[in-house]
Amino acid sequence: MDQLEQLKQQWTASDGSYPKYSAGQLTGFIAKRSSSIVKWLFYIALIEFGIFGLLTILMYDTESQQHSKEIAGELFYYGSFVLHYVVIMGFIYLFYKNYKNIDAEQPTRSLMKNILKTRRTMKWYIWYNLGYIMIFTVALSILMLLNDPSITKMTEELHVKNMTTFNVAFVGIAVAIAAVMCGVFYLVYSLIYGILLRRLNKNYEELKKMEV
Amino acid sequence: MSKELEAEFVKQLEDNQNIVHKICRLYTNDQDAHNDLFQEVTIQLWKAYPKFRGDAKFSTWMYRVALNTAITLYRKSKRRVTTQAYESVEFKIADNQEHDESSEQIALLYTAIKQLNDIEKALVFLYLEDKNYRDISETLGISEVNARVKMNRVKTKLSNLINP
Repeated sequence: MDQLEQLKQQWTASDGSYPKYSAGQLTGFIAKRSSSIVKWLFYIALIEFGIFGLLTILMYDTESQQHSKEIAGELFYYGSFVLHYVVIMGFIYLFYKNYKNIDAEQPTRSLMKNILKTRRTMKWYIWYNLGYIMIFTVALSILMLLNDPSITKMTEELHVKNMTTFNVAFVGIAVAIAAVMCGVFYLVYSLIYGILLRRLNKNYEELKKMEV
Repeated sequence: MSKELEAEFVKQLEDNQNIVHKICRLYTNDQDAHNDLFQEVTIQLWKAYPKFRGDAKFSTWMYRVALNTAITLYRKSKRRVTTQAYESVEFKIADNQEHDESSEQIALLYTAIKQLNDIEKALVFLYLEDKNYRDISETLGISEVNARVKMNRVKTKLSNLINP
């Protein structure tokens, strides 16, 4: 293509038409804060760790918590907490490792891949937390049906005749509440990441297409 | 990081800043966005600078970091406004050149390049900077053959854009 060759020749000749920053201005730029997507991903991850961390702390040692401890038994109760924290620590480690691998010096494709990997880790972190909440809620509601004296009292007061229907409805409501919560979280995160990584995803697909 | 290192970096950046300006002009549509991207590239270059020392040529290293910032890391913060004033200064032909038909064609070509997607722009940019396909493939992280094939396709696309 002739024009492209001509443009190439004039490309260097056009150097004078660009602005020229002084050393002082450039030094000023260094001091400014980055607003790159990696920084945003980092902040979002911190918020995610914060939100789920806060949820666990808020739930801890409240009156209802004491109540669930009695119903579920200490082994189930503390066991699930210990397991939960071990997994969360694992996620924090993975996130840190991925984050450290993001480096503006690497080839574009690897850089994009590493960013998407970090985002995937956080996606799994959210799914894990939502799954944990879901299973914990369902397990607790079943244990409540089996062990909670207040449930027995309630069924008596309500003159429940068919216990099976009551049990199914009780667990069903617990699942529904957990599912709605998961749905809301999922929508919010899809929206945040969708906006943040739309361009990156598009460019990554473009590069991937070239390798086929 | 030490003051000497900073001074050394700023000096190199000052000498090679045209590379960054060219990328900014290719990837943004107004002066505000241009400055914004330039600033982000500077920050990313400075962050990566300690790793650079001793390695390749400063300018070669700069292509990678600057393009990565423009294509991947940069988050367009402002609304995209296409200002006519900026478009018209996009590719200035040196003053001593006659504004004949061919220079008009070249200006048209530059406008066509700006319509390409981010990856295609990067290919064309590296091509115009006279990088060989090995450098291009290493910068983008694709194979040399694929870089060549894609570049040929982009040439056809550009040709169709300027001669509809």
